[in-house]
Amino acid sequence: MKTLLLFMCAAVSLQAADYYVTVAGLGGDPDYEARFVKWAQDLERELKTDPDAHVITLSGLGATRQQVEQAIAKVSSEATETDTFALFLIGHGTFDGTDYKINLPGPDMTGAQLAAALNRIPARRQLVVNMTSCSGASLASLTRKGRIVISATKSGNEKNAPVFARYWVDALHDPSADTDKNGSVSALEAFRYADRKTAAYFESEKLLATEHALITDTANPTGVRDPKPENGQGLLAASFVLIRQRTESGKALSPEKQRLVSKKEDLEAKIDRLKYEKAAMDETDYKRQLTALLLELARTQAEIDR
Amino acid sequence: MRIFTLIFTLFLPAVAALPGDNCKALRHHGQMKEARACFSALAASADAFSQAEGLWGLQRFDDAKLAFTAAEKRTPNSAPLKTEFGLLFFERFNSAEAVNLFTQAVTLDNNYAPAYLGIARVAAAAFDHRASEAAEQAAQHDPKLYQAHELLAFLALEDNDAKKAQEEAQKAIGISNEAIDAMAVLASIDWLNGKAESEWLPRILKINPVYGEAYSTGGHFFEINRRYEEAIQYYRKALDLNPALWSARSQLGVNLLRQSADAEARQQLELCYNAHYRNAETVNSLRLLDSLDTFETFKTANTELRLSRKEAPLLRPYVEPEMQRAIATYERKYQMKLPGPVHLELYANHDDFIVRTLGLPGQGGLLGVTFGLSVAMDSPTARQAGQFVWANTMWHEMSHVFVLSATHHLVPRWFTEGLAVHEEGSASPEWGDRMTPEIVSALEKKQLLPVLELDKGFMRPKFPGQVMISYYQAGKICDFIHQKWGDAALLGMIHSYAARKTTDEAIQENLHENPAAFDKEFFAWLDQQTANTVKHFADWKKGMKDLVASYKAGNFDEVIAQGVKLRDDYPEYTGGESAYELLADAYQHKGNKIAAIAELEKYRAAGGTTVESLKKLALWEQDAGNLKQARTTLATLNYIYPEDEETHRRLGTLLLQAGDADGAVREGKALLALQPFDAAESHYELAKALKAAHRMGEAKDEVVLALEAAPGFKPAQQLLLQLSQ
Repeated sequence: MKTLLLFMCAAVSLQAADYYVTVAGLGGDPDYEARFVKWAQDLERELKTDPDAHVITLSGLGATRQQVEQAIAKVSSEATETDTFALFLIGHGTFDGTDYKINLPGPDMTGAQLAAALNRIPARRQLVVNMTSCSGASLASLTRKGRIVISATKSGNEKNAPVFARYWVDALHDPSADTDKNGSVSALEAFRYADRKTAAYFESEKLLATEHALITDTANPTGVRDPKPENGQGLLAASFVLIRQRTESGKALSPEKQRLVSKKEDLEAKIDRLKYEKAAMDETDYKRQLTALLLELARTQAEIDR
Repeated sequence: MRIFTLIFTLFLPAVAALPGDNCKALRHHGQMKEARACFSALAASADAFSQAEGLWGLQRFDDAKLAFTAAEKRTPNSAPLKTEFGLLFFERFNSAEAVNLFTQAVTLDNNYAPAYLGIARVAAAAFDHRASEAAEQAAQHDPKLYQAHELLAFLALEDNDAKKAQEEAQKAIGISNEAIDAMAVLASIDWLNGKAESEWLPRILKINPVYGEAYSTGGHFFEINRRYEEAIQYYRKALDLNPALWSARSQLGVNLLRQSADAEARQQLELCYNAHYRNAETVNSLRLLDSLDTFETFKTANTELRLSRKEAPLLRPYVEPEMQRAIATYERKYQMKLPGPVHLELYANHDDFIVRTLGLPGQGGLLGVTFGLSVAMDSPTARQAGQFVWANTMWHEMSHVFVLSATHHLVPRWFTEGLAVHEEGSASPEWGDRMTPEIVSALEKKQLLPVLELDKGFMRPKFPGQVMISYYQAGKICDFIHQKWGDAALLGMIHSYAARKTTDEAIQENLHENPAAFDKEFFAWLDQQTANTVKHFADWKKGMKDLVASYKAGNFDEVIAQGVKLRDDYPEYTGGESAYELLADAYQHKGNKIAAIAELEKYRAAGGTTVESLKKLALWEQDAGNLKQARTTLATLNYIYPEDEETHRRLGTLLLQAGDADGAVREGKALLALQPFDAAESHYELAKALKAAHRMGEAKDEVVLALEAAPGFKPAQQLLLQLSQ
């Protein structure tokens, strides 16, 4: 994540996801049904903390294929290219060796059918988080340029109901998910949080992990467990904000404040560069230079906030 | 594989003579060269059975197995052949195949005594209570089979029944004046009683001058009586007589490992391995030794703590102070100092811990084991979160360290376990053995043992769960003694055992009544505490099923209506979906936070260990402004599952608020040892705690680390500015 910041220092501007659709599919038994509905409701509650967000939640008998397609079609008709869209899938999935399907009341929906519907949404930046069992098998059909795809499982063979969804929802309200402390949680931060919590769950229960989440944001249908510059993954996900940040950009800044903001950005860029060069530096020298830059940044921020 | 497998396979006269009998007779007399020549001749025989016996005698085990297989094909209905084949498997560490063959043999000939004896040997190796029964059957089917009486003598001594052991041994000697294993048991009785020069040894050596097994039998009995130093001495003596006695060498290695003599342990075990003596204990012990490279040892004046490198930063700040607290408590209580530092090892991998307990009786479900000044136990990460309380286990084992030392390892198993359980409860009322449903059932069926027989419950359990029930009973006995006669009586019993007194004598001397009277009083006392639960147990079981169903259906009024009585009928029950937890959730749903908190506080006080329930309690306590209670609950969690990031984070914050900067620093460092997801926040919190503890340089280092992870983290920026002024 630290070196990833270097690639981001050209400042991909943070944009909020404007449109959200959550689908909680068939539970099959009362326990799962209750669990899936709860997660969908919790997700809805978190997303609606942004008053500008357009949130559609489908669950239980109200999550038929027709209703899912209608919800996505509604987004297609309303969203523009500059908007963002996120789809969250919760429930049971299946994979027969060829097709991934999400279990819905009535006919199921395949990965290809979902992709076809999503491809009609004009929003250039999209996120799909497939938190169903066997979801790893949906990556190939869902990946597309500009679309971040996250699956709770690494393949169609991980068939147990994942716990990833529970921790994905937690990521949206747990302050510790915001690891870079910029006041918002990105798709990458949420992925890392949920993945880590999932692993910790299996470890604490002394169970063999039956799910391994993947992410891809480069149209490469092979997702990765650990996105980083070395594998080229994570850049888009790092800039896709799930919980919108209040920026200063909306306010008019005095010339002095503008100067300070520029200075701050310059210092941040220097810090990123220094961190990138850390491996090749003497430790004491690195620490001295880093401390000096951080102090200067802190003073600058204090001035901005005055 | 038990040491005595080799002891008892030396010579086995059958109803009809076996091909190898003459060669075995030579070996029985220690004429090894002649025996080898005899076996060689046999191995060259045209008869497959003879060939097999010959190859086995030459220790060409794989070839012998092939020869036996061929012989079995030719003579599929020979009970003697199958029994001999079974003994080969048994000798070469395959008990399952051995039992299979012995069973086939008795099916073919249900009078074939050696097959019953084979079954008995396999059972004995596993400390299975059915060993005696099978040995008795062997003796009945062949009254001249003295080896059956040798085994019965051996088993009786394992049960600490020296009288019966002597009787059976004398029966064996009465049948054959060359029953050297019976003599070895008699010699062992002398050695256990401190009589180093036993009359029996010269008699054994007259028959077989190189019979190392005599000493290794002694070693075995010292070992199972936890007298490990003496066991080591006797295994060495065995090897002095017969350096090729690999079973003794393997046990020597295992016991050296138990005494933390790692280098020599490895040396001895590698010799066994290279000689193809690769039983489970040898192989697993060598693997464990290999894994010790990943451990780090921390020494103080009176402790040595060995932890995996990965866990050390997290666990050491908790385990080491707890060791010191236990040592200080026990020095005061037992009025003694230990002769050396306590060596404690925590195993993150449960399988490595199991290697430490291999070959010892009554070890099912153990969390820790003590070998004198050395203790091995599971690390909290070795088990499912909430499955056990590591600190409780540590206090339990530390009690053993003191009691074994005080009694020179002469204390009987029941008493040291009972005292250790009692000490758990003394260290914390939330610890100690609770009355589980298995124990309630045992009370219902009146399965608890008289005090004079309680060791059997540990050594040779007759039903599943008897070991755990025996722990409970032994703990309760010590609680009773403490309550009625005081700590002085418990200390007095320790001294009695140190003076080689029996349990009967120890009770009479210190409690001034005979064991029968003691049992009567104890059971009446226990009944007062448990009768209500036992009486309502059947209704409770049904009621709890209904309660869980009501809870899952969201019928919280019903949960509250029924749950209180169920809780009170069995207040010690804190297992999965306890009444406490269900009631707490029900109250919470009904908006009665005070009652919800009260339920979980009762749950904690009753020894509940579910991590999620305790975390929930801590959060509710904190939200309700009960910060002291919240700190207590979070501290409890550290004793159960210190791997939880949230626990350390919240406890650190609360400690800092309460002015305990050092405690906050400890929690902050523990959190960072877990490599938390939110590194920036974690470094920042530690920086604040260090600042509060006036450790400014370290505080600045930490806040720089926080900002390195998140340069825009404003609170950390402000702290950096403060620290830089």
